[in-house]
Amino acid sequence: MDARTMKDIYLPEPATLLEVKPFTEMETYYRIKLDSGRPLGHKPGQFAEISLAGIGEAPISISSSPVKTDHFEMVIRNVGNLTRALRTLKDGDRVGIRGPFGTSFPVNDVMKGKDLLYICGGMGLVPMRSVIQYTLDHRDDYGEITICYGTKSPSERLFTDELENWGKRKDIAFLETVDRGDDSWKGNVGVITKLMPGISIDPHKTVALVCGPPIMYKFVLLELRKMEMSNENIYMSLERHMKCGVGKCGHCQINGLYACQDGPVFKYSEIADVKEAI
Amino acid sequence: MSKPRVAIFDFACCEGCQLQIVNMEEEIIDLLSVVTPVEWREAISDQSTEYDIAIIEGSITRPEDEERLKTIRDRAKVLIALGACATIGGVNKLKNNFGMDDVKSSVYGEARDMPHLSTYPTKAADEIVKVDYKVHGCPIDNREFAYIVKCIATGKEPVIPYYPVCVECKEKENVCRFEYGEICLGPITRAGCDARCPSNGAWCFGCRGFVDDPNMNAGREILEKYGKTVEDLMHRIVLFNTGRKEE
Amino acid sequence: MSYYKMSEEDLRQWVDHLLSKVTVYGVQAKGDRFAFNALNDSSSLRLDYDVTILPPKKYFLPPKETLLSYKGQKYDSVVDEKPFVLFGVHPYDLAAIRQMDKIFSSDNNDIHYMTRRNNATIVALDVQTPSAHNFSGNMNTAVIEGEYDILLTKVDSSYVVDVRTGKGKELIKGMSGLVTAEMALVDSRHKVWEENKSRLRAYPLKPSLSEIPGLLDKSREHPVWAEKAELCFSCGSCVMVCPTCYCFDVQDEAEWDLSSGKRIRSWDGCMLERFALVAGGHNFRKTKEERYRHRYYRKGKYVAEKVGEISCVGCGRCVSACVPGIANPCEVYNRLKED
Repeated sequence: MDARTMKDIYLPEPATLLEVKPFTEMETYYRIKLDSGRPLGHKPGQFAEISLAGIGEAPISISSSPVKTDHFEMVIRNVGNLTRALRTLKDGDRVGIRGPFGTSFPVNDVMKGKDLLYICGGMGLVPMRSVIQYTLDHRDDYGEITICYGTKSPSERLFTDELENWGKRKDIAFLETVDRGDDSWKGNVGVITKLMPGISIDPHKTVALVCGPPIMYKFVLLELRKMEMSNENIYMSLERHMKCGVGKCGHCQINGLYACQDGPVFKYSEIADVKEAI
Repeated sequence: MSKPRVAIFDFACCEGCQLQIVNMEEEIIDLLSVVTPVEWREAISDQSTEYDIAIIEGSITRPEDEERLKTIRDRAKVLIALGACATIGGVNKLKNNFGMDDVKSSVYGEARDMPHLSTYPTKAADEIVKVDYKVHGCPIDNREFAYIVKCIATGKEPVIPYYPVCVECKEKENVCRFEYGEICLGPITRAGCDARCPSNGAWCFGCRGFVDDPNMNAGREILEKYGKTVEDLMHRIVLFNTGRKEE
Repeated sequence: MSYYKMSEEDLRQWVDHLLSKVTVYGVQAKGDRFAFNALNDSSSLRLDYDVTILPPKKYFLPPKETLLSYKGQKYDSVVDEKPFVLFGVHPYDLAAIRQMDKIFSSDNNDIHYMTRRNNATIVALDVQTPSAHNFSGNMNTAVIEGEYDILLTKVDSSYVVDVRTGKGKELIKGMSGLVTAEMALVDSRHKVWEENKSRLRAYPLKPSLSEIPGLLDKSREHPVWAEKAELCFSCGSCVMVCPTCYCFDVQDEAEWDLSSGKRIRSWDGCMLERFALVAGGHNFRKTKEERYRHRYYRKGKYVAEKVGEISCVGCGRCVSACVPGIANPCEVYNRLKED
């Protein structure tokens, strides 16, 4: 084997920010195109590593549907060195991209023909949006679609235009809540699990998809159990520090699993006994 | 973007950390390509009250120092504490182990009550004002100083080691000082110095301060294994880390 | 496969001959211990060393290395292509290199590691002086079959030079007066190997190697994790000296022009406090106990499942590097077996 002829798994490829748009106080939206013109080729739920030379690199979920191939989208929360620097960038600025990496939601097999129940907490909407968009783009392939979305406060709601659209659509059920309301908020107040008892599903023909902050999972799982959902039909995307994205650096390990390779999307029945997972 | 203006001020210290900046030699030219010094007693004659970045060397040992530091903080957008005296109080805090009258008598004898010799228990810069960046060490490592300046200039939060000196000491392929029956503060001291002292045959003096969560209980328990006492350990700790709440 | 017989003096002449052509890293004294370092001449080479402070892993995965350089937002790979000879690697360290090779070549090939590895010729050396903490006899790594380019075994006062690969042949090429070893001498290495297998057992290991993953499976709540971790400094010494630890961090460092610089990989370790921290502030392994347990699960189960053997080769470096004395894998696995 001649290593020199092989590609460098750590080498980012150049990309351009087509659009940079602040979303909330903390989150910024980016529309990105690879300079080579090749489509990123991601599947819903996968992530990529985004680089800014001199600052560093971070794993970020891809939040657009793979149906769009001329660009992809990311929504990035300003929580670290790289993400803070990314927030200062403008349309036309360049970044580096590696990926896509990781597992994806099974849109073409397990989910096909099934009712879908999406549970998204806070930033969990970002990776989930790629699969929500995909299933809406292929609406006829799926049964009933229910989307639950919870944030801490109304000001932290992401993709507000889209949320409004989802609310208007007759072919999906969209439920929203905020932990704490404000004067302008007319909707539900309370944590996301408060939305769930009101939802009626057929547990035998439903696939549940869950993504949110670490604390959320065990409470959502309790509610799903009450709904008689089996672990086989629950998929979740887990957050870890996927530093290298290629199963080497060790940072994202969940017991023996690598979130960057075996995840970030896991079938719950496969990690129910993995102690560090939830 | 215009180059940030930098002023360097000294308080109670030996000024050896400023000297470390001077010791950057030809790299100072590079440094000047990134910042403009407007006050720096050890290197230039200018003085200024207008600056973007203030670099503070030394510890605070008198009420009037405290006021001066607050003024500097108010004027600066970014405040950097330079060296152990400023970051953790350092050796100047040794005096906090004694009464101030004893300290003054011991140093100044008969002249101890002269007004300009007033003193109070030593404080690190961040015990008085908000410190944005710390360049640890006694003296500082000028490579780390350069790294931090470059980070500030690029708008990046410097990544300073949070883990103990042992990490770098192992990378240097040193034999652990404990294997030679010496107490070394490496396991509880913040890395970033490339294990300078152990690499030159000495124990770690703890000049970069403790890690965030030093395991002091383990320290006490293992002393016995190496035939040492808590007093032996404390004797080493007080040199740079007097008054740390973890003691 | 060919066998030669050399005296120690012949060996040193051979090393000097190699040094005229290529960089050779060999074991030298460092104070009263030993370390792999670049050789200037064969006189400083020690073949009787017990163990080196750091394993030879440092030549394939250096403590710090530049992965990429950048200029603006354009990156280029930086690959170290210099050939070298690693002279005098003990069998347990070679076993560790074999494991690292699998990690860095499987799934996603790491060209930084693999280029160095492919450009290295390894001269292995059977242990002559056991170190105080070596338990490679327990781990089936006291002797090694095949994975070397050349193996040196000291039998009485001469060395058997076992040349295994094309790279090995290349290394011996051009040496005048090579004496083929008689089969009796070649066979007598078995005595050395049997002796090393039994004497490189500084600590007893009660469970069999195949038992360890299963033992770990049922020991997550075992009290040993909390008991040992209580004394842990989270100082990372055990992982830094480990020949089978490979976790890393990556950071960018700018030049003074602020637009060019390097992306640098450095050793990291799962025992360090913030290893499993994510940007939002959640630490997925925030207690010393969780981190301590993770390390033994990695060695005995997680990485073991990836590489097909327990990811501890019994070099004993962690045992001597750990100040509180909590890092002995035999002690840990024995406790799990006892209870």
